[in-house]
Order: sequence, then structure tokens, then C-alpha cells
Amino acid sequence: MAGGKILLNPTEESVLEQEVRRHVLITPWDKLIDLVVDPVYNWGRRNSLWPLQFGLACCAIEMICTAASRYDIARFGAELFRASPRQADLMIVSGTVTKKMVPMIVRLYDQMPEPKYVISMGACATAGGPFKEGYNVVSGIDKFLPVDVYIAGCPPTPQALLHALITLQEKISRQSVRDVRWYKPGPAHEIPVPVLGPDLIDVRRTDEIRACVAPVSTPAPPAFIAAPKLTAAAADGASVRAVEVASRLNEAIGAGGAVPSGQSVVVDPELLDKAGRYLKLQPDLNYDYLANLTCVDYQDCYELVYHLYSIGRPSSDPLCLKARADKRNPHAISLTGVWPGADLQEREVWDLYGVRFHGHPNLKRVLMWEGFEGHPMRRDYLEPYYEAAGKIFPSRWKEGRHQRAEERVPLGDNVKYPPGFDPSAYRPQPELFKPVTSKSVDRLKTDMIAVNLGPQHPSTHGVFRMRVVLDGERIRALEPVMGYMHRNHEKIGERNTYIMNFPYTDRLDYICSMSNNLGYAVTVEKMMGVKPSERAEYIRVIMAELTRLVNHFWSIGFLLNDLGAFFTPALYAIEERELILDLFEMAAGSRMMCNYMRFGGVAADLPEEFLPMADRLVRERLPRAIETLDGYLTRNDILLDRCKGVGILPKDAAVAFSAAGPVLRGSGVAYDVRRAEPYSIYDRFKFDIPSLPDGDVYARYRIRIAEMRESLKILQQAIREIPSAAGEAEPAKKLWNIRVPAGEYYGRVENPKGELGFYIVSDGTDHPYRYHVRAPSFINLTALELMCKGHLVADVVAILGSIDIVLGETDR
Amino acid sequence: MKIYGLELIRGLGITMGRFITTYTVGFRRTFSNRLRGHVRQDVSQKGIFTVQYPEERLQLPERFRVLPVLIFDGKEGERWSQETERCTACGICAKVCPPQCIWIVQGKDASGKAVPKASEFTIDTDVCMNCGLCAEFCPFDAIKMDHRFEIATEERWVSHIHDIDKLHVSTEYYAKTHPKAWAKEEAKRHAEAQRKAAAAAAAKNVEKKA
Repeated sequence: MAGGKILLNPTEESVLEQEVRRHVLITPWDKLIDLVVDPVYNWGRRNSLWPLQFGLACCAIEMICTAASRYDIARFGAELFRASPRQADLMIVSGTVTKKMVPMIVRLYDQMPEPKYVISMGACATAGGPFKEGYNVVSGIDKFLPVDVYIAGCPPTPQALLHALITLQEKISRQSVRDVRWYKPGPAHEIPVPVLGPDLIDVRRTDEIRACVAPVSTPAPPAFIAAPKLTAAAADGASVRAVEVASRLNEAIGAGGAVPSGQSVVVDPELLDKAGRYLKLQPDLNYDYLANLTCVDYQDCYELVYHLYSIGRPSSDPLCLKARADKRNPHAISLTGVWPGADLQEREVWDLYGVRFHGHPNLKRVLMWEGFEGHPMRRDYLEPYYEAAGKIFPSRWKEGRHQRAEERVPLGDNVKYPPGFDPSAYRPQPELFKPVTSKSVDRLKTDMIAVNLGPQHPSTHGVFRMRVVLDGERIRALEPVMGYMHRNHEKIGERNTYIMNFPYTDRLDYICSMSNNLGYAVTVEKMMGVKPSERAEYIRVIMAELTRLVNHFWSIGFLLNDLGAFFTPALYAIEERELILDLFEMAAGSRMMCNYMRFGGVAADLPEEFLPMADRLVRERLPRAIETLDGYLTRNDILLDRCKGVGILPKDAAVAFSAAGPVLRGSGVAYDVRRAEPYSIYDRFKFDIPSLPDGDVYARYRIRIAEMRESLKILQQAIREIPSAAGEAEPAKKLWNIRVPAGEYYGRVENPKGELGFYIVSDGTDHPYRYHVRAPSFINLTALELMCKGHLVADVVAILGSIDIVLGETDR
Repeated sequence: MKIYGLELIRGLGITMGRFITTYTVGFRRTFSNRLRGHVRQDVSQKGIFTVQYPEERLQLPERFRVLPVLIFDGKEGERWSQETERCTACGICAKVCPPQCIWIVQGKDASGKAVPKASEFTIDTDVCMNCGLCAEFCPFDAIKMDHRFEIATEERWVSHIHDIDKLHVSTEYYAKTHPKAWAKEEAKRHAEAQRKAAAAAAAKNVEKKA
């Protein structure tokens, strides 16, 4: 036996191995690890999980509530939300992961030191959720990051998030230092950052992408309809107003330049600016407010739609101006010179429809990224997960065997590339920004530097990015960059049936789901000619005004957060909000995603205990809470110093930039849709429209406080007067496949953030042909640069806070 | 002359007041170990606002909704069967579902004829948006929104796809979570049964007379 080695047969070996394991391998050191090191180590780890201060979408609001006083995540040792990934252990991926955002998320994860954990919060982060079919949505963060705990739910309530945290703590308790990832030998594992190309490129899958061929058969794209007929005279169905305006325009811009069509006037796209200038400057027309701008993809043209209102001359009827751009090379003249508020909206039309606007100062994509292949809102653009032209998908019923969307596509992911695309040869396009060429104001000999605030930044209220050019610490130029939460609301909305869009509107401005519901219901009801019952109308007003309180509490709390009063005012405000959310939950079943309104009523009548509780809240608690907030803040020296004279938006500019809501009223324009064009039953209530002439951050703050008081007035009246006939609030007949008569309509309501509009074109079927949302948060940002120029970086944060944006609505 | 900081002190006074009330108002609660189980916070809630989850939890309102479940007539702990289940595979829930997360295979009898029973029923909870439209539009009270929110898992590929076995809960369970809706539905069913019986009796009478 050479070398003293004993040869054994197999059975002897295993017996020996067992013996050896029993007596030799388990040393006191191993026992030490099992009994002392692991328990102490895990105890420490699991009770000091510091989450990254990082939120993506609606779920982030519930995450913030979890950190607030009612749920108090501090009880679990996880209250230290860290703004820097380098100090955080836990990433709570809270909300929809978009393709545009995922490179930042991966980078943040890579920057977190080991040990690090990931909670995937909500259906979206887990697998794409309800937005899975969208063209800009990643089907699950686990495609990129290792996830420890998943929570289903949309959104999971704070208690559900706490449960996830407990689940993670249990998982940590089972770990052993002997086999954890971060004590393994070898270099640290870093996840390569995906690249934004014609679609999202996962660089680990380069070879698969190169080898991938397009699927043989694709489902049929949605059908087109022809654009509405041009009607030269009133006899053909054009409204008197349209005929009159068209004939005046013909005189002004040249014969044949304008033709009436139904309620609207169609103008030659080359003469748009002339027509616009005429409509704005003629004193008896005075269309100074461009409320909404969008585009419809018809069979024969791209129709640009402009909804014009007059604030200077409130008696003028609204006007719908249209222009038809050629299908092959769509272009039109930009209207930014007439109404600067067209800026971001024209960029959106370029981005999503590919209509070029000549004369636009900064025409580039706004929601998607430069280099993205295709213009996704065109009807012939099909997403990778495209299944059918309209819901209901035939694969779901009768022979509905479950199949993930991933299983239907060649790469098993929500991506598609042009034929023959080679990711290794792809060079991403650089981001281009407007050049800044002014001289230094401070006469300091410094270079101007560009700084990015966001998209992951605690002060940007979500995944919003501001690219600022600084001279010293003063802002010389600012460009908002958005789309990090663009989850294809409109594209999905055009595939949905009318009723399906209700829960999606909840997720627009997810702080104010009730009033989004109301706006959508009011618009479609107008088209259908349905009227809800008295009781339903009162319930709707009560819900909408409670929502205004919720929103203003939230925004004031967080404005103070932005000023540096870290979390205390926000905590007080969230406490009151929680009690209102209890009411929503009681009536609708969900704190945030209420999905409560229906065409012709509300989903279910109020439960008995609702009105008594609402009454006490509105008469006893909330007035006191507003007083406290007012007394706490309004005359506070620091607040005055930081807010007065900061971020001034003059009255004329506010109107020209299409600002809406508290931003417009804070600039001295007492304009409110509830008064200007009363919807629901707002004409019955006594309330004032507060306005302040200053146009600064402080004015906007005070407008919100004043509006909360007005909302309380409305609520007190509504609760007093609501008819008691219970059971009448629900629509007479519940139909799941409602058809809407052909036609188009722009409906608008005064949301807490400003004018929320829905522009719907119906072709008579059960889903909208065109579904557009006029998002106040998005359009209010047009004036951001004007407000910020010349101020300090710290002021930008306050100014943004005072505009009060929600990214779900900004990016839709 | 303006004295700076007075308003600041006033504001801090409010914070101080809050700090004190957390001890005075909730004093007994703060220093007692008795936690309250299900909590309903009232409008007059003052002092400590925190719900000590998981020992305490908020009282869920009846309409609270998380994920959909299917109902069968029976007791808790029983297994559902084709006789006790309520679903008729009519497909309305799948048709009204906004993110289209419901998949239904209609059952067939031995001869291959379609029967009003689902042989497969799947909900992808990773797509579900908890909107409750399925439950609202179901004509048979067969699909309802569940209250269970403690659903965090460590993997999603298997456990987040709810099949027909996982989806079924008993009427006993449903009656417990939704007492009011249950009473209302039962009353309606009872009235419907009576109406049918009366109609049948009337038809019999007519036959007799003829």
C-alpha cells in the first residue's frame, strides 16, 4: 500500500465518511458559528435594515406611509431611509420598473455595499403588473436584480409591506455566514448596467439578441378609421360657431386655410401659427389659454387637436382647433411661439406620433429616450407583448390556459429590435440639451457646470430628473427630463374597454384616484348622455373634495420636507390623510386605488358608517388640523425666508404656459374649472376660488391652505344636503361592455393639481379609438425653467415642491 | 422692531405639545402590554397613532380588497368540488378584467359537450391590479375579493399563479370576512328561491285547472 493510502470499497467509504463527519469535521469552530456567530450576526443584520430612499411609482406612496407614524417602520429597525445607496442595505423596488429607469436602478443596486437585500413591492415591480403589456415596462425587476421577497398586490398596503419586511427578517435569520454570497471568494458580483438602444438591451444577452429572429406571424394590428369629414357649411353638420370662426380665419390667413368640421375648425398645418396668433390676439376671440394639445392617428392623416379657452374673456366659448398632417412625412408649424405651453405637449406628439413641429426650439423625445425605435402611439406600432387589437383577448376564456406573456415572444422578454440588430455594435446616442451661452452673472471666473437632479433623488417627488446648468450656485438653465415612469397609459387605454380604464385612471395621479375617476366618468357620461342619480352626484363631490384635502395635506407636508423641515410636518399631514384614506377604504375597498366611480353612478353606495364619520372628520378634526398646520408654518420665519419671492411665475406667463390649478391661481388668475365650466353638481355649492397675485412658492402654499378650507365648506354642505335614498347611487344597469356613440369630446375637471382633461374619440365600439389624458402635472412643468432661472439649487427643490407633481400623471 | 424666531418657537411648541400627548393621552396604552388585536382608529384619535403591527392590526373594512378568490358552498377546511363550486365558467370576470389576468378553461363532460363548470381557472397575481371588477360583475357571486394581505413570498414563479385549487375558499370563510354582503346575498338568494317556488306552484295550479 503505497503512501499509506487505504483502498476501500464504496460502502466502506460512505460509512467512513459518516464517521469522519460525525467525529472530525464538526469542530468547535463550526459549533461556534452555528450557536453564536450566526445568531448574533443575523440578529444584527435583520434588525438594522436600512432601506434606500428610493421610490418608483404608486407603491412608493404606500412605502412612505409605512415609514410614517401609523405603521412606523422604525419598530423594525428599518426607519433610516438612506438617500445614498452606499449607506443602504435594502432596496424596496416600489412600483413600475420602466425601461428608461432600469439602468439607474441597476446602477444604484451595484453601488449598494454587500450584504444587500431586495424587496419587490407590488405587482409591477414583481412582473410588470397591470402595465406589463406596455412598451416601456420591464416585466419584473428580477430580470436584473436578485429579489429576496416579493409582495403581490396593487399596491400592497403598508401592513403588507411590513409583513414583507418580517418575511425578509425571517429569511435573514436562516442565513449562515458560511454560505452567504458576500463571504464567498472571488471578485464581487456586479450586474452590468443595461443599455437604452432601439429597445432595452440587457448586455448579458447580447448573443441571444443577435441570434434572435422576428416571429413568423404577428397578430393583426388595430384597424384605422377615417378622419371626421370636413363640413364646409352649417348645413353639413358644422356648428355655427365653427363656421363663423373658420370664415374669419379664412379672411385673416388666406382663403381655404380653415374649414369647419363638426364642432371644430381644421386649419392648414403650414398656417397654424398665423391662425393661432389671430385667435389669441383678436380682442373679441382672445383665446389665450391652450388647455390641451394632442394627436389622433387616422387612416388618412395625423390630426393635431388643440383645445383653446379664453381666460381673459371668460364668456368666449371654447374652441377646438385642428390641423391635419400628412401621413408619410407628418409635420406642422410649432405653436410654441403663440402659446409657450405647447412646448412639452408638442414634444410628446413628436415622441409618440412622429409628427415634426417646425420652429420648435427643442424638439426631441420627451417620454421615451432618443434612439428608441418607432413612435409607439401610432396605431400600427405593436408592442412586443401585443396580443390583440382590443380587449377582451380571445385567449382568456373558454380555452384559457395560463400562459405568461414572456412565453409568447422569441426573447422571452418585453423587447423587440429592428431586423439584423447587433447590440455589440450599438453606440447609444448622447443626450442633447439646449446650449447655454449667457455670461456669468456673478462675474466669477468659473465654468458653468451641468448637474443632474434625479431621476433618483428624494426631492424630485418621484423619478423625475432636472438637468440644471449652474453658474456658481445659481441656475442658468434648467431642462426637465421625464419619462422614467412612462407606463403607456394611453396605449393600454385604447386597447381597454371603457370600463377597464377606471382602475387605470386610479394610477395616473395616484394620490387623487377618486377625482381622476370622476374626470373620466364625467367625460364618458357626456358622450353617452347618461346622468347619475342625485345621491351619486353628492357622493362624487364628497369623494372629490376629500381627495383635494388628501392631496393638499400631502403636498404641503412634502413641500416642507423639501425645505429641509425633515418629515415632521409631513408626518402630521400624513396622519390626517390616513383618516381620510380610511373613509375611501370603507367605501371603495382600497386606500389608494379606489376605482369607485362608474358610468351613471358609483360602484357601491356608501356604507352606513361612512357619513357619520365623514361628518365628524369634516366638522371636528380637519378644520383643527388645517389650523394647526397653518399656525405651525404660515408665519414661520424660515418658511417665509425660503418661499417669499422665490420661483415667481407672473400672471401673463402662467396663462401663456398653460399652468393650471394652484399654480395658476397662485399667480393671480382666479380660474377654476369648477366655476368656469361647472361639472357634476358644483354649481350648487357656495365656495370661493382663492387667488393670490404674488406667483411665488409662498403664494402657492397659501392657495393650498385656502383651498383646503374651501373644500371643507363644500364638504359640509354636501354632507348636510345629500339625499338619503340609499341604494340609488349605483348605476341602473351594470354593463361590462358599454358602447359609446361615435364622436369626440374633451372633458375636464378641476383636480387638486390642476385641470385634468380626457380627450376621447369614439368609433362607436366598446373601446376608445383615441384616449388622451391632459395631465396637469406634466403641463405645469413647462414653466419650471422660467420659475427657476436665477435661483439657487436649494430653491429649485422648493419650487418643484410648490408645483406639486406626481410622476404617474406626468409620464402617464 | 421685529423679534426673530418667535414664530419658530410657536411652531416648536406645537411639536412639543404633540410629544407630550403621546404620553398623556395614550398613557395607559403606552405602558400596558395589552395590545388590542384589531384596531379601528377613530376621528378623535390623539396621542400615539401607531398600530403595533403584527401584534395589533387595523380593522379591515368589509369592502377591503386584495386578490380575488372563488367561492364554494361549504365549511372551512373542506375541499371544493364540482357540486359545491359556484362558478359557471361564464367568463364575465375574464372579460371585464382590465389587465386580463384571468384564464378560464370551460369544462367538458364525458361526451365532450361543454358544461357550465370551469375545469381550469387561473389568476396571475403578478398581473392582477386588485380592482375588484371581476367580483363586481360576477352574476353568480362566485368570485370575490379576499382580505388576506399577508402574501409576501420568497419566490414568484409558482406561488404567484393561483390555480383553481388555490383560489377556492368556502362560503363559511367568506361569510366571516364579508358579513354584510353575505347577509344581503343570502337574502336575495332566499327571495329568488321563494319566487321560483311560488312560480312553480302557480304553474302546477294552472296545469291542474286545465
